[in-house]
Amino acid sequence: MNTEELLGKKPLYLLEKIKDNLERLNEKMEVMIELQKHGRKDIQPLPDASLDVMTLLSMPDHLRKTAMTICRCGRATAEEISQQTARARAVESAYLNQLVIMGYLKKERKGRKAYFYADRENPR
Amino acid sequence: MGKILAVHSYKGGTGKTLLSVNLAAALAKRGKKVALFDLDFRAPSLFAILKINEASHWVNDYLNGACEINKVLIDLSSRLQENGKFFVGLANPSTEAMRDMSAKDRKWEMRALGNLLALRNTLLTEGGFDYLVFDTSPGLQYSSINAIVTADLVVVATTGDRSDVDGTRRMLSEMYNLFEKKTGLVLNKVLDSAKSKKDEMSRKVQTTYQVPLLGFVPCFCEILRAEGNFIFAQDKPDHPFTKILDEMAKKIETDDVK
Repeated sequence: MNTEELLGKKPLYLLEKIKDNLERLNEKMEVMIELQKHGRKDIQPLPDASLDVMTLLSMPDHLRKTAMTICRCGRATAEEISQQTARARAVESAYLNQLVIMGYLKKERKGRKAYFYADRENPR
Repeated sequence: MGKILAVHSYKGGTGKTLLSVNLAAALAKRGKKVALFDLDFRAPSLFAILKINEASHWVNDYLNGACEINKVLIDLSSRLQENGKFFVGLANPSTEAMRDMSAKDRKWEMRALGNLLALRNTLLTEGGFDYLVFDTSPGLQYSSINAIVTADLVVVATTGDRSDVDGTRRMLSEMYNLFEKKTGLVLNKVLDSAKSKKDEMSRKVQTTYQVPLLGFVPCFCEILRAEGNFIFAQDKPDHPFTKILDEMAKKIETDDVK
């Protein structure tokens, strides 16, 4: 790919690709910050994780709010969850990713959006 | 958009089923489209109260993913003299079904929660229902907490009994608060129900339980004498109990539970 192509035909594509990568990087950093903040002990992957009501009851408050909202929505982005919980999108993104690491939620990318959901058919 | 109500209590015998049936009937009599569900799988009772001997499908089947919810609903609207619609979904009363439901694991309960949450879309949004009323098992049961998590408003039935007061208070602060659920308390079997005591009782409930009072129900001997044979809201339209339930239905309808 020569300079002309870069500047003339595909700059938008490249910028989007860079933005995507930056967003992924940002999400990873948010998870790392949360891991630091809350200690690692409650963010370990669980061998038998299922997002049932007793699990919801025993969760730390900050994660329960996010988990309850995803239960109600079924499938949502961090942006959609943040609109319901009135917390920042970045915060919800971090909590959702924590729940994914713990095995309670699954994450699926569709284009530039990341969707989170509780897999009721095949829980881990 | 319709609402989901769960009727729950800490102890058994507080009048959950009596309240669920009559509240659902009172809402239907106000012209609403209502579905009442028996989620007390340990001790199903709606089939007996509503005198329905046969059902092709049960709520158990829906939660098991074996059928759609429409197959479970039985239309009892013809029993009402008013314009409302009244449907019921029954829990399977056979010993085998009760045993089966008590042996479910966490993953099944998680799917059951998903199926209950799905009713918001299938019945409230698409089916045009105004209210779904869940009659639950007392205490910390999976099926009851699933119902509470699904509900928009939880109606908690309690009596003046010391063990019930203390347990209800703990249940509200240690469970309902965690789920941030809107709750209305019904004080049932009240002995001294003079009108002058109403404000005092309301204040006492607020102080003791930290939740609003939806209503209080005096101890009516007629209810005991009826031996579960009447739906008061339907068969005894002029009875004071029917009027109290209608007041509660009105409060729920106007979102006046505060």
